[in-house]
Amino acid sequence: MAVKDYIREKFFPHIWCPGCGHGIIMGGLIRAIETLQKEKNDIVIVSGIGCSSRICGYLDFHTLHTIHGRALAFATGVKLSRPELTVIAPMGDGDAFAIGGNHLIHAARRNIDITAIIMNNNIYGMTGGQYSPSTGYGEFATTAPYSNIDHPFDFVNLAIGAGASFVARTTTYHVTSMIKIIEKAIMHHGFSVVEIMSQCPTYFGRKNKFASAVEMLKYYRDHTTPIGSKDKKNNPDLIERGIFIEKEMPEYCDEYDKIIKMASKGE
Amino acid sequence: MKDINVIIAGAAGEGIHTVGDILARTISAQGYAVFTWQEYESRIRGGQNSYSIRISEKPRNAPLLQADALLGLNDGAVNKYKPLLKEEGILIAQRQSRKRMITIPFGEVAKEELNDKIFANTIAIGALTGVLGADLDTLNQVLAEKFKKKGQGIVQGNLSAAQKGYRQATQQCKGMCAWKLPRQEARYYLVSGNEAIPLAATFAGCRFIAAYPMTPSTGIINYLAKEGELLGIFAEQAEDEIAAINMALGVSYSGARAMTATSGGGFALMVEGISLSGMTETPVVVILAQRPGPATGLPTRTAQGELLFSINAGHGEFPRLVLAPSDPYDAFHKIVKAFNLADKYQMPVIVLTDHFLADSQFSVLDFHLNTVSPTSYIADPQKIRDYKRYQLTKNGISPRLCPGQSRHLVGVDSDEHDEEGHITEDLDVMVRSMVKKRLSKLDSLKQEISLPEETNVNDADIVFVGWGSSRGALLEGLRLLKQEGNKVGMIHFTELWPLPEFSFPNGKTYITVESNATGQLARLLRSEYSVSFKGTISRYDGLPLTGEYIRSNFNEYYR
Repeated sequence: MAVKDYIREKFFPHIWCPGCGHGIIMGGLIRAIETLQKEKNDIVIVSGIGCSSRICGYLDFHTLHTIHGRALAFATGVKLSRPELTVIAPMGDGDAFAIGGNHLIHAARRNIDITAIIMNNNIYGMTGGQYSPSTGYGEFATTAPYSNIDHPFDFVNLAIGAGASFVARTTTYHVTSMIKIIEKAIMHHGFSVVEIMSQCPTYFGRKNKFASAVEMLKYYRDHTTPIGSKDKKNNPDLIERGIFIEKEMPEYCDEYDKIIKMASKGE
Repeated sequence: MKDINVIIAGAAGEGIHTVGDILARTISAQGYAVFTWQEYESRIRGGQNSYSIRISEKPRNAPLLQADALLGLNDGAVNKYKPLLKEEGILIAQRQSRKRMITIPFGEVAKEELNDKIFANTIAIGALTGVLGADLDTLNQVLAEKFKKKGQGIVQGNLSAAQKGYRQATQQCKGMCAWKLPRQEARYYLVSGNEAIPLAATFAGCRFIAAYPMTPSTGIINYLAKEGELLGIFAEQAEDEIAAINMALGVSYSGARAMTATSGGGFALMVEGISLSGMTETPVVVILAQRPGPATGLPTRTAQGELLFSINAGHGEFPRLVLAPSDPYDAFHKIVKAFNLADKYQMPVIVLTDHFLADSQFSVLDFHLNTVSPTSYIADPQKIRDYKRYQLTKNGISPRLCPGQSRHLVGVDSDEHDEEGHITEDLDVMVRSMVKKRLSKLDSLKQEISLPEETNVNDADIVFVGWGSSRGALLEGLRLLKQEGNKVGMIHFTELWPLPEFSFPNGKTYITVESNATGQLARLLRSEYSVSFKGTISRYDGLPLTGEYIRSNFNEYYR
C-alpha cells in the first residue's frame, strides 16, 4: 500500500487553514501506518469533534467521527469488542484533556491498547479561538482577551500520572521523528499517548504575536529539545520531546481474557 | 385461601434482607405464589427498614401495606411498624408488647442455647415459618442450600436454630395462629426485575454492558459482573455514564449487542449519547431504573418520573423506542423486543423500570421462552458490492455492516452525512433526505408497537389509565373498587413511544394513575390521542402504588 491508498482523495482539498499543523500530523500518521504495512480493514480511526477530528474524513479506514470528548469511550467499546483491530484516536487538546479528560485518564489507567494522538494546538480552533487546557498562563485567546489566568496542563506528566504505558511528545517541525514515534505508539501493546504540538496560525498564532505558521514551526525548533539533552540542563524552559515512558504492562483486553478463563474454570 | 402479608422490620445491617429472602424462598418452595418488596433508607447501617412478603395461592404480584404478621428484629422496628399490623394480626418480637404475639428473645436463646448470637435471625425465621404453618423441612432445605458454602458447622447451627424458633412459636401459637400452608404442587420462579433483565439480555444475544453504579439500576451490573462469564456478557464499570453509553455504542458499532443501565441522574449524562445513537444509527439498549428526583432525590425509593424525559431526551429529532415493562415476566419479553428492534431500526431503545420493579420479587409460573427469540439484522456483506452505510431506502433502514467483517469499510459520522457516512453540507439534497430517512423509520416502527392492555373497559364508567410497574396495583385497585360496587376498568400501557394507533372509547371517565406529581402519562396521551382526563391519582412520596392507595384516593377525590 502506498500513502495514496490510505486517503480519500476526492475530499481534498482539506478544510484546515493554510499553515495549520494538522495536515502534517495526518501525513505522519499515514506514513507510520504505511511503514507498518497495515491493511486498511484492520484500522479503526475514532475521532471526537473539532479541527483535529476532521482527520476522519480524509483517511480511508473504518472511520468514526463521534462527539466532542467521547472518542476514547467509543474507541474503548470498539477495542473491547474487536481486540484484533488497531484502534487509533486522534483528538484535539480540548477534546482530549478538557471535555474528554475523564475518559483519557481512565483509558490510561486501564491500559487498553488504543493509540491516542493529541493534536495540541493550544486553542479551540473550530469554535473561534477560545483558550484550551494547554493555553499558557499569560497567553491570549478569544475568551482570554486580557490574557489567560489559567495554568496549562502538562499533558505528558498527566498521562504518565494516569498510568499510560507509552507517553511521547513531538512537534510538527520534527516530522521524521514524529513518524517513528507514531509507529512505535501503534505497535505498543497498551495505552499510548502521543502529544504532537501543532501550530494554529489562524487563532493561536494571530492572538499571540506569531507572524506566520513558519514562525511557529521555528518556535518548535528553538524551544524544544530531546529528552535529557545538555541544552535542557542549560535552559530548563525548553520543552522536552521524545518517548518519556515505554513500558510493558498488562493490557486490558488480555487481562479480561484471563478473568474469563479464571471464572469459567469453576463452572 | 386469603392472602397473608408478612412484614419483617429491622435496622439496616441487622439482616432483614437475609431473613426475608430465606422466608420468601421457603414459602415459594412450599408451592405458593410469593411477592416481596422492600423499603429502605439510603444508608448502609441503622435506620428502620422493612421487607414485605405477600403469600397467595395464585400470583398477585402487587404490594399490600397492612401486615397479618410482623417480625420486629428490634424495639425501634416494632414501634415504627406496629401501626401497620392488623388488630387480628400477630407480632413476633423479643419482648412482650401486646396480647396477640409470639415472644422469643432470639438473641438470648441463640447465645445461651447455641453459643452464638449469629443464629438469632434464623431462630426468628423458624418462628415465622411456624406461625405461618409451613413445613420446617422446606425451611431446612433452603437453609442448607443458603449456608452450604460456609461449612457443615454453620449449616447445623442454622438448622438447630430454625428448629428452636419453630418449636417455640408453634407452642405459643396454640389457639391463636389460624394459618396453614401445606405443600402445594405449583412451582413459581421467584424473580426480581433486576434479575429478569440481565437474563433476558443474555437470551437476546447481548454481549456487553457498561454502566456506572446508580441505585436502583446497580443490581443489573452487579449480577452481570458475577455471572457475566457464564452468560457470555462482558461487564464493564465505566468512569461515568457518558463513557458507559459511548462504550456501548462502540461495541454496537463493532457488531455486538450492547446495553447500559442507569437511573435518572446518570441518564441525564447519557442524553448526548442517545442523540449520537440516533444520528449514527447505532443500536443501543438503555435501562432507565427510575427513582424520585430531581437531582439525587430519594435514592432508594420508587417513582415513575422519567416518562417525558425519556421520550424527549436527546438534542435533535430522531426515532427511538421507549418501553416500560409491568413486571419481570413482561420485562423479559420487552428486553428481547428492545434488542431486536434496536437492531432492526438502528436506534436507541430506552426501557423504563423503577425501584419497585427492579428490587421486588415476583412469582412467575412460566416465562414462555418459546414465544420470543433474538433476531439479527446485520446485513450480509457478500451481497453488497459498493457499500453505503447510510444508503437511502424506502423504509429508511440502511444495510448495517461491521468493521473487519468483510472488505467493506464502515464509516459513521455524528455530523450530518451522505450515504457513505461522510460529513456533508449539501443542504438541498442530502441533508433533507437524511433527516427524512431517519424519521421515516418511525412509520414501520409504529406498526410493531403493542396496544395497551384493556381490562373491563367495556362495562366500566370509570377507567384508570396507567403504565409500567403499577399494573399489579391497578388490578388490585379494580378488585377493591368493584367490591364497593363501582364500575371500573383499566387501560395499561407498556409501550410508550412511539404510541400505537389506538382510540379511547367514548363516554367514559378517564383517570391516570401514576407515581409522579405532574401526571406525565396524562400529558402524553392528551397530546397524542386528544383524550381528556378527569385527573390523576398520583403518588410521589417514594412508596409504590398499591390497590388500597388507588381505592382510597379514588373515594376521596373522584367519587
